[in-house]
Amino acid sequence: MILINCPYCGERDQSEFSNGGEAHVARPENSENLNDKDWGQYVFYRDNPKGIFYERWVHSHGCRKWFNAVRNTSTDEILKIYKLDEKQPKLDRFTNTLKTPSGEPKVGSGNFTVKK
Amino acid sequence: MSALDNKKCSYVKKNKKIAFTFDGKKYYGYKGDTIASALLRNNVRLVARSFKYHRPRGIYTCGIEEPNAIVQILNEHNEPNTRATVKQIYDGMKVDSQNRWPSLNLDIGSINNLLSPMFSAGFYYKTFMGPKGFWKRIYEPIIRRTAGLGKPPKEFRSKSIHQNHNVDIVIVGAGLSGLIAARKLIDTEYDVLILEQDSFIGGVLKNSNKVEKINNQEVNKWIKETERLIKTSTNIKILKNSLVTSYNFTNHLIALEDKFAGKAIDTSKSELTLHKIRTTHTILANGHIERFISFRNNDLPGVMLASSFEKYIHRYGVIPETNPVIFTNNSSTVTLLKSLVDLDHKPAAYVDARDKNKIGKKLLTYLKKNNIPFYTNAEIEGCDGNKKVETISIRKNKNKIIKVKSEMLCVSGGINPDIHLFTQSKGLVKWDDKLITFKPDVPFQNTITLGSVSGNYNYEKTNDEINNKLSFLKAKNIEFKIEINDTNNFNIKELWETQHEKKSNWSKSFIDLHNDVTTKDLKQAVVEGFDRIEHLKRFTTNSMGTDQGKISSINSLGIVSKILKKQISEVGTTTYRPPYAPLSFSAIAGRSTYEFYDPQRKTPIHNWHVDNKAVFEDVGQWKRPWYFKEHDAETMHQALQRESKQTRQTAGILDGSTLGKIEIKGKDALEFMNLMYTNPFTKMKPMTSRYALMLGEDGMIKDDGIVCKFNDKHFIATTTSGGAPKVLADMEEYLQTEWPHLQVYVNSITEQFTTFNISGPKSRDIMSKVFTEVDFSNENFPFMTFKVFNYMDTEVRIMRASFTGELGYEIYITPNHGLALWKRIFHHGNVFDLVPYGTETMHLLRAEKGYVVIGQETDGTVTPIDLNFNWMIGKKKKDFIGKRSLTRSDTAREDRKQLVGIIPLDKSEFIEEGQHVVERERIPDPIKTPVEYLGHVSSSYHSPNLNHCIAMAMIKGGNKLMGSKLFVSSSYGTKNIPVEVVSPVFIDPENKRLIS
Repeated sequence: MILINCPYCGERDQSEFSNGGEAHVARPENSENLNDKDWGQYVFYRDNPKGIFYERWVHSHGCRKWFNAVRNTSTDEILKIYKLDEKQPKLDRFTNTLKTPSGEPKVGSGNFTVKK
Repeated sequence: MSALDNKKCSYVKKNKKIAFTFDGKKYYGYKGDTIASALLRNNVRLVARSFKYHRPRGIYTCGIEEPNAIVQILNEHNEPNTRATVKQIYDGMKVDSQNRWPSLNLDIGSINNLLSPMFSAGFYYKTFMGPKGFWKRIYEPIIRRTAGLGKPPKEFRSKSIHQNHNVDIVIVGAGLSGLIAARKLIDTEYDVLILEQDSFIGGVLKNSNKVEKINNQEVNKWIKETERLIKTSTNIKILKNSLVTSYNFTNHLIALEDKFAGKAIDTSKSELTLHKIRTTHTILANGHIERFISFRNNDLPGVMLASSFEKYIHRYGVIPETNPVIFTNNSSTVTLLKSLVDLDHKPAAYVDARDKNKIGKKLLTYLKKNNIPFYTNAEIEGCDGNKKVETISIRKNKNKIIKVKSEMLCVSGGINPDIHLFTQSKGLVKWDDKLITFKPDVPFQNTITLGSVSGNYNYEKTNDEINNKLSFLKAKNIEFKIEINDTNNFNIKELWETQHEKKSNWSKSFIDLHNDVTTKDLKQAVVEGFDRIEHLKRFTTNSMGTDQGKISSINSLGIVSKILKKQISEVGTTTYRPPYAPLSFSAIAGRSTYEFYDPQRKTPIHNWHVDNKAVFEDVGQWKRPWYFKEHDAETMHQALQRESKQTRQTAGILDGSTLGKIEIKGKDALEFMNLMYTNPFTKMKPMTSRYALMLGEDGMIKDDGIVCKFNDKHFIATTTSGGAPKVLADMEEYLQTEWPHLQVYVNSITEQFTTFNISGPKSRDIMSKVFTEVDFSNENFPFMTFKVFNYMDTEVRIMRASFTGELGYEIYITPNHGLALWKRIFHHGNVFDLVPYGTETMHLLRAEKGYVVIGQETDGTVTPIDLNFNWMIGKKKKDFIGKRSLTRSDTAREDRKQLVGIIPLDKSEFIEEGQHVVERERIPDPIKTPVEYLGHVSSSYHSPNLNHCIAMAMIKGGNKLMGSKLFVSSSYGTKNIPVEVVSPVFIDPENKRLIS
């Protein structure tokens, strides 16, 4: 269980929070002008990378506030937490090694706990 | 020969005799003994039968790593799979062996051993393929009876608790390194928690006499002093009997404390405490585990790990056998040898796989001086005997075999740092060619490894190692000089399996004792193509027992690497996963069991329902009356027919308090409501209400309810009983993330109001009698309006709405007044035969009227258009959630499943909910090609008011099929029921009853 630093309440157990998927996906205005494909892209498609990911969290069993986080999905390391009205931090601010401590490759998993 | 007391050294209290039973026979042990040490004391060597072959097994180790001696504790709610080497005895304890019938000594299942050619690697997958039906009726029941472990617990009621800790430093293991680290942290600024799996501290110091003195102090005195210093310190706490089972992300550890170690369980108290620990730094000083060597019949009772034998001597003061044979490939056995000599019980033979050079002159001289028969460059070929070791065959030089008579064989195949927790924490390990094992390399978290877990087997260097590794902490500057009784040279020689001869089907060389995997199985699996270690493990079940191969998994890597002609580091390890050792589900569940498993929510009228013979159903966490029994013999069907008929004839009342209620307030409330719901609210007049729909962005119906508009800045919405939390959360999410510019506050008021739904032709009369000051005439109180007024010294809100199709009112009042008002309504209603009804009648009545239930007619794939709810969609609104999706090519299809009503052509027939609607009269038997189906029956009831079955169904292109004849499948046979597609509104389609 990881620790998440709620920007309103402070550090709490992950079990108090819910994940809201990819962040910075704005609900399209004037959706009537979008074709089916573009609208479908907004409704059904979200990114799920291995590595650095901008995502939304809500302190659902706490203050019920939403906020954003930058997390390395392969190590569960939370690199930054910021409020919704703060600017999206640039990706190059973070060193994306795309490597778990057990040295997994970029794609797939396997037996890589042993240092070569 | 037999077991003896070690009078010199022991940590069990020999003045306290304890009686216990094993397989019904009474034995005595001492306070502090484990089941294993007590059984050894009583010369009981045969303690278990093995998993697959039912071979006789004895006690192999002296700790958590035990693969053989697992037993059932009969007087602890029949607790199975308990490690005899860990569990302490107490007076009156009743222990049984497992997996044997009729008795441990004579086990019928051992015939499996003779059939063993059948049970080779992957035999489950290969053997039980056919004929069809055999698996379920024959193979599985037999396998379930003969394979496996203990019997399930009985009358078990968990009372374990969870406890949270937040500390600066956790030390796992109170052995030599752990205690020295602790002493350096006494009265420092850190909050320290020490976790020790045993009921005493000291670890290796008590398990052997490897360490002689610390700072010129006797080891025992030093431990006592340390314990006293820790106890009197302000910053360090020790938890004994606490096993760390997992090391998770962000330095989060889980430890399981056995509160009744060595005591009879008090069933009124909690047996286990699960400690959830969050720390800044984790010091792993959890030591090492000895591994074995494979040879012929290396599983016979009497074979034991050398260090375990040593532990029994020093920790428990029992010498399991006076003249054992020692077989080793390293120097860690020297202290065992010396201990035996000091106790005047010379080993029958000392067999060392190493050459004289590696053994060293010092030891060779010692062996010669004490006249111990010793063999260098030698191996154990195997051992023989009837349910115990009797003869041991030693291979001296290439082909010469010498037989030695002894009843025990102490084996040491080397030492593995216990890297389980380290790898759980995602640390990297690396292969050490000198130690011939894996040891921790790069930690991922704030993890420090000390002592043998870090690969430091030299106790003299412990102090320097700790100084070095803890230098970043503000630790105390105290030094500890450690004197050892032993060589500090480990000098191991690689040896996984000895050369041995197959003498009979009984000859087996095991790699996994727990799951009965032989080295032959490993080799065969590799031949069959399972050359990846993770595949091999699953195919052979190697190291998949409850001991997780603690004494053997590295050995299997060694053997496989030899077959594959690879380095062990290339073969790699399998993944170490939590828990470290089996832990009871009851510990994980904690207090969340039985009535605490899920909270129950009850309405203020609950007790009245109970008194009036309500049968309850669970709706989310709510207990809702399902139906009321007029008398005990009344069936559910009879109750429903009575309740529904009565409601349409006079009046009925439903406790609707569970309905979700959300208050929406703020400057921009109107705009927000227009966005959240499909309905247009702008032109809606104040103090009116409206049936409203909420969609997802995909255009599918998510929830429904009635929205009351007080004014443009104040709304109250009801939701379905189960959907309230989700609707509130969704509203919050959109307010915070998409429309932060809107000034709106949403708040759950579900429990702030008790709600009653009264309906039926007489409801107006009853309401007029209860609320005498209100004019309930149709002109003054029309359909879909509401009034708020003072009543019973509180505020009451009454809305004219109906979910039955009859004239109806919804009453909202504070819960404190709920029951009084409910009783008052009945006081006036009895004259009109007012009947209480439950959720099932509610469903029946709404189905007669063609009203849908979210979650019954809909399933997350239904749009409002599919339900013919076009009139509810504010088409002129610029936007609302899901609006764009309603014109997607897929949602706009005309052949989507649409809501229709269906009635059987033969009015005496009944349609079942969930059945398929098809065009065919019969379902072919057997079905060769898929039967095309049009849809499914979503609701079906026997209508007391129409006196036949009415049903609702979602069928493809349903709107165009009105009046056509179709069929509905049935669970009774292949013949389908002919039905007619009709409008889903069966009663009062003109809404005369509703609006007049």
